[in-house]
Parts: sequence; C-alpha cells; structure tokens
Amino acid sequence: MKIVAVTSCPTGIAHTYMAAEALQMAAKEMNVEIKVETHGSIGVENEITSEEINKAHAVIIAADTKIDKTKFEGLPIVEGTVQDAIKNSKGLIERAMKLKKEEKEYVEKISEIKEEKQNKKKGPYHHLMTGVSYMIPFVVAGGILIAISFAFGIHAAENEGTLPWALSFIGGGAAFALMIPILSGFIAYSIADRPGLVPGMIGGMLSAQIGAGFLGGLVAGFLAGYTIILLRKWIKLPKTMEGLMPVLVLPLLSSLIVGLLMLYIIGKPAAAINNGLSNWLENLQEGSAIVLGLVIGLMMAFDMGGPVNKAAYAFGVSTIAAGQSSSVMAAVMAAGMVPPLGIGIATLIAKNKFTKEEREAGKASLVLGISFITEGAIPFAAADPLRVIPSLMAGSAITGALTMLFKVKLAVPHGGIFVLPIPNAVEGLLPYIISIAIGSVVTAFLVATLKKPKVE
Amino acid sequence: MDIRKLLTKDRVVFDLKGETKGEIIENLIDILIEDNIIKDKNMFKEAVFKREKEFSTGIGNGVGIPHGKSEAVSEAAIAFGISKDGVDFDSMDGKLTHLIFLIAVPEKSDDIHLKALSYISRRLMHNEVRQALMEAKTYDDIIEAF
Repeated sequence: MKIVAVTSCPTGIAHTYMAAEALQMAAKEMNVEIKVETHGSIGVENEITSEEINKAHAVIIAADTKIDKTKFEGLPIVEGTVQDAIKNSKGLIERAMKLKKEEKEYVEKISEIKEEKQNKKKGPYHHLMTGVSYMIPFVVAGGILIAISFAFGIHAAENEGTLPWALSFIGGGAAFALMIPILSGFIAYSIADRPGLVPGMIGGMLSAQIGAGFLGGLVAGFLAGYTIILLRKWIKLPKTMEGLMPVLVLPLLSSLIVGLLMLYIIGKPAAAINNGLSNWLENLQEGSAIVLGLVIGLMMAFDMGGPVNKAAYAFGVSTIAAGQSSSVMAAVMAAGMVPPLGIGIATLIAKNKFTKEEREAGKASLVLGISFITEGAIPFAAADPLRVIPSLMAGSAITGALTMLFKVKLAVPHGGIFVLPIPNAVEGLLPYIISIAIGSVVTAFLVATLKKPKVE
Repeated sequence: MDIRKLLTKDRVVFDLKGETKGEIIENLIDILIEDNIIKDKNMFKEAVFKREKEFSTGIGNGVGIPHGKSEAVSEAAIAFGISKDGVDFDSMDGKLTHLIFLIAVPEKSDDIHLKALSYISRRLMHNEVRQALMEAKTYDDIIEAF
C-alpha cells in the first residue's frame, strides 16, 4: 500500500522537513510505502507525480499553509497540521490507511477511457481526431436543428421567413457551413498550434466552396499545419521584427500557399472523388448496400471508439454533411448503439456470468447505449476480449445490414434514442428500432452463451 | 553544504544560561550578533517571536528550534546551546527542552543554506541524533552527531 503526503509550514525552514521526516520514519516502522512532497522555502521538493497519485491509497496533507488539493482529486485526504505530523505521524498514517479509495463511477471511468485514447496517440491520427472532435458538436447542433425543421414537414423550410426555414438556415446555412473549416482549422491547430488555425480554416472553407467536401478539408488541414511548421523553420526574422510573425507573416504566407494549392492542385481531384463517393452511395444496389452496412457494423463494434470506429463514424458524418438524410449515417449510429445495449441486456439475462459490479455496470451500459456512446462496452470487452468483441461485432454487423435492407435514413449525426422522436429525423423509424433491437439481442445472446459463469 | 559553515564553533554553547524561553532565545541571538550575523537585534527578535506565536517551535523530545527570516540577517546561520537544567519551551509534549537551535535566515537565501537547514531539521527527528547531541562534549561531537 502506498501513501503520498505533503508537508508545508509558514516559514518553510524547519517544520516542513521535520514533519516530512517524521512521516517517513513512522511509515518505515509501519511498513507503509510513502512519498512526501515538501513545500519549503527552497520550493517544492520531491514532487509527487500524477502516476504516483494514481497508485496511491490516500494522501496526507500536513500543512499550516494553503495547499492546492486539486491534483489529488479522487484520493481520500487526511488533513492535519505540521505539528500533528511531528507529534503523531503514526496516527495520521493509520487514519490514511483506513480510508477507502472511492471506486469511480462507471460513467466516469468511460469518460476517462475516452480521454486517454485521445491523449495517447500523437501524429496524424491524433491531429485528425482533434479536428473531428472539434467538428462533431457543430455537426450535432446543425444536424438536430435541421431535423427539427423537417419536423414541420419535409419541405417546410422552403418558405423563407418561417421558423422551419430559420432552423434549417441556422443548421444548414451556418452550422454545417462551418463544419469543414472547423475540421481543417483544428487539424492544423493540432499540428502547428494557433498559427495553424488561419490557413486551416481558410483551406477548409475553400474546400467546402469548390465542392471538395470532407476529403478536401482533411487535406487542407494537414497541408496548413505542415505549411506553418515549414514556414517557421525557414523564415528567420531579426529579433525586433519577430512580433510580425504571428500577426502578419505566417497567416499571410500560409493562407496564400494553402489557398493556391487548394484551388489549382488539390481541389479538382478531391471534388471528383467526393462526387464519385456520393454518386456511388446514392446508386448503391441493394446487395452491396447490405454489405456496406455489415462492414460499417463490424467497424463500429471492433474497437468501440477507437480509430476503426471513428473512421466509420467520420464516413457517416460526411454523408450527411450536405444536409440530406443518409443511410450510411443510419447504419453507423444504430451499429454504434448495439455494443453497450447488447452487453447491458446480457447482464440482465445471464446474471451468473457477471460479477455484482459488472451487473451494476450493465445498467449504466444500457444508458450509454441508448445515447449512442459505443465506448460504454469497453470495460466488458477489456475484461474478456476474445469472447466479447466478436459477439459485439456480430450484433452490430447484423444491425448495420438490417438498416440498409430496410433503407432507413438518418438526418442527424448523433443523439441516440433521443433524436428518434423528432419527426422526419429518421426515415423508417419502426424498422430502425427493430434493427437496433435485433442486433442488441443477438449480441446479448452471444455474450451470455460464450462467457464462462462467474464463481462468486 | 557543510554544517560547519552554518554552525561554526563560535556559535555553540555547552552550558546555555536562561530560565525562560525568552531569555534562552535572547542569549542565542546575542551569539549571532557578536558574530556579525545579525545587524538589527530588535528586528530579528520580532521575527523569531512572531514565528513562535503561530505555534511553539518546541517540537518535543527536548528539542527547540526557534527561527526567524529577516532582513536583519546577513547570512544563514545557526546558534546552538545545550541547557543542562532544561527550560519550559511550551513544547508539544510538555517536557523540558534541552537542545535549542536558533536558526537565522536572511530574506533572500541560497538554496544551499536552506538545504542544509532542512537536512538538520530532518536529522533532529531521529532519536540517536538527539541522544548524541545531549552527550556531546566537544564541537566535533556535535558535528558528528549529524
């Protein structure tokens, strides 16, 4: 068991260190591992790292000054004065040992997993995901506003000045129009920091205007980011003029370079590919549509929020970018809801295959499922990947194929069950729900069958 | 940093006089004044007693470490005295205090000095160090105790 501690006194000359020593001596005697951070007049010494905080059982703060406790959030805290530590260090340690580290809520764990995934990866994938994560809220807000406008009737938005028209204009005319510039801008921002934003957003805007769409936007983002990096390397201004770099030199040159490349070189082929893709999707034969749905399903469940899942998701979003409903988006959302839903149902029908904690987590998993947060299934998949992941993929693949078979179309990019009641958000609401239900039941059945019973 | 530089031979008294905490501290301050460490007696005294008011530096087990940080101090220094009879230092354990270290630190001090002080403070928590100090007969005995 490991404990971390902080000591600090007003002058920071003697007591800080005496308290630290006393804690270390007592811990040694009690066979407890301890690390004591001292805040004295020398400054902070022996600083506790976040890794050590994660591993620690509790924290002791023995201080007569104010100590910032934010970094210990989540750890149980024993607080005392430096005198307490000098006089009764054993008592403090005993109290700390008795405290129980709170188990994190299931939903909290999921959001941590999501964060870790985002922070771990660097390089092009990380940049891409930064761009996508800034873009998604625009897509969600815009998509749902457009869907609400559909609720007034599918052509209601055509009458200028009416509320449906306004909603459609806000969603399609503004939010969706910003989508690709934001994507490109924040890809470039992730690569090159703030200076990347300008050429990135301008490149993205151009891509949207010349019909190069998402694909052009991606290229523009990376182009802008690396252009800034090269410019910074190549251009050396005298010290007195360095202030001109961020406000004049970098934005002007990078926008010029990215803009010209977009218009003369990248734009046309990207637009052609973009058009080709949408034509292909529109004219997809029934057989190939079902295969596409199947593949989307497999991808969505394969890594639950990882790169493969996000690739499928980004593809889905790109198909509704123009503001129309899409069968791909429908397959993506449905298949993404199945893994946590299926797992949740499995914990209900096969209680003996799960620990008590897992059965509790199963309920949270159901909520995450209806909200289209695929990551909800990760803890279960991580605990028993060989049995769980194939079960999830099978269920999602079936759901993806079914939504394609029923020709369900979705106009919104996110929102799970909560957007389904919006009239016209889904074309084919009943088949949609049925598709999700069937996939979830398949997953639940497979998980329940494959998993070994738990001996409790 | 050598402790000898902080706690020179001239700054050690083996038979520290004084009936009260105040007298003891005053006597130790006088040592540092003679050594030209403290330029303004009243100013430094005020810093030490202000610190003492927050809570007593009698940390128990017979040890007291009054200390002050003040502009009146020219360089970091320690004066050390052994009170044979012991003195009431309002210590945490209520026992009489025998080993008294007066620590003087200037407003701006080198880390080296502060590190040495933190080392001494840590060592004082150990029983065998205190025991050796109580039994010290010569300056070298004291230095060796750390």
